[in-house]
Amino acid sequence: MEALIVSNVLLWCLLIALAFAVMGLVRQIGVLHGRLAPAGALMVDKGVAVNEPAPQVTAADRHGRPVNFGYAGEKAQLLFFLSPTCPICKSLLPAIKSIAKAQADRLDVIYVSDGDMDAQKALIAEHNLEDATYVVGPEVGMTYQIGKLPYAALVDKAGVLRSKGLVNSREHLDSLFEVEHLGSATLQQYLHNHTHSHGAHNH
Amino acid sequence: MQPDSIFVITAAVVVAVILASAATHKLRAPARFANQVEDYQLLPRALVRPVSRLVPFVEVAVAFALLVPASRHIAALAAAALLAGYALAIGINLWRGRRDIDCGCAGPEQAQPIRPVLLARNAVLVSLALVASLAPHSRELGFFDGFVVIAAAAVALLVYAAADGLMANAPRLLKLIGR
Repeated sequence: MEALIVSNVLLWCLLIALAFAVMGLVRQIGVLHGRLAPAGALMVDKGVAVNEPAPQVTAADRHGRPVNFGYAGEKAQLLFFLSPTCPICKSLLPAIKSIAKAQADRLDVIYVSDGDMDAQKALIAEHNLEDATYVVGPEVGMTYQIGKLPYAALVDKAGVLRSKGLVNSREHLDSLFEVEHLGSATLQQYLHNHTHSHGAHNH
Repeated sequence: MQPDSIFVITAAVVVAVILASAATHKLRAPARFANQVEDYQLLPRALVRPVSRLVPFVEVAVAFALLVPASRHIAALAAAALLAGYALAIGINLWRGRRDIDCGCAGPEQAQPIRPVLLARNAVLVSLALVASLAPHSRELGFFDGFVVIAAAAVALLVYAAADGLMANAPRLLKLIGR
């Protein structure tokens, strides 16, 4: 009888601990759902079609050297459209720089901006972009029909526009590379097609 | 049928704690709760404010009465009626096809749209309240019985909280996988 009571007490204690663990797991899933919700760079305009040759344009960088956009070359190009007056652009610069460093052997990162030269210089000094390719001028933005900032476009080695979109976070930036890999215009489109083909299998 | 006291007391404690925690959420954010009552569109506009003030106090009173043996039977029936009433309110709005309103079941971090599964949840709670309303088989209760009651109530409440969390997560998961 004594042994049964001891075992019962022990079982109850372990059961309470287990229930705590389950509840904790559910709460953690809830937090993850809260953090996970928005994903994928947003495509807000029509502009240049993805998976088509990118428009070709040449513009001078801030030192006057010509930079080619949309031509076939040795490396892919990531165009990052920014402005010194846009705070979210600045918050993304560390992520852009880390991408540029990590993929230096296959990717050229080109910063494209427009507007007051003094403000550009302050931004370049503040974020250590002296060595980066930095284009100031309206030509590229107009050719690629950029309406909102910060915007990024990925052009592959053959000069084909692989993905583009409004980027507000590191996740959005990463999604550009993800969709390049998956061959869709945006992550949203990939997910849409994916669920559709699943639906087709089920019916 | 006379169940053992342990079942009756445990059920009473569980329902009391659930009602009391629901009442604290409502008392802490009265304006939010009034909006939720209004969203259900079951009461005339003039009655929304007074009812939303009154409901949490009724819940607290029922919760306390459930813990006192003398008033347990009546309080358990009242709790069953209250929970069945909530289920009815959800059911009417589901029948109207208004699936997008907040259930207002738990705190602000557990906001979830009303769905048929919430009716099942309330059915479980009503049956728990009905168990608490039964007259127990009388026997001497020892120290160990007290321990079992507390432990069983704790496990039931934790499992309830986990199930509630899973139900609140379900719509977000569906959104995530794009259905």
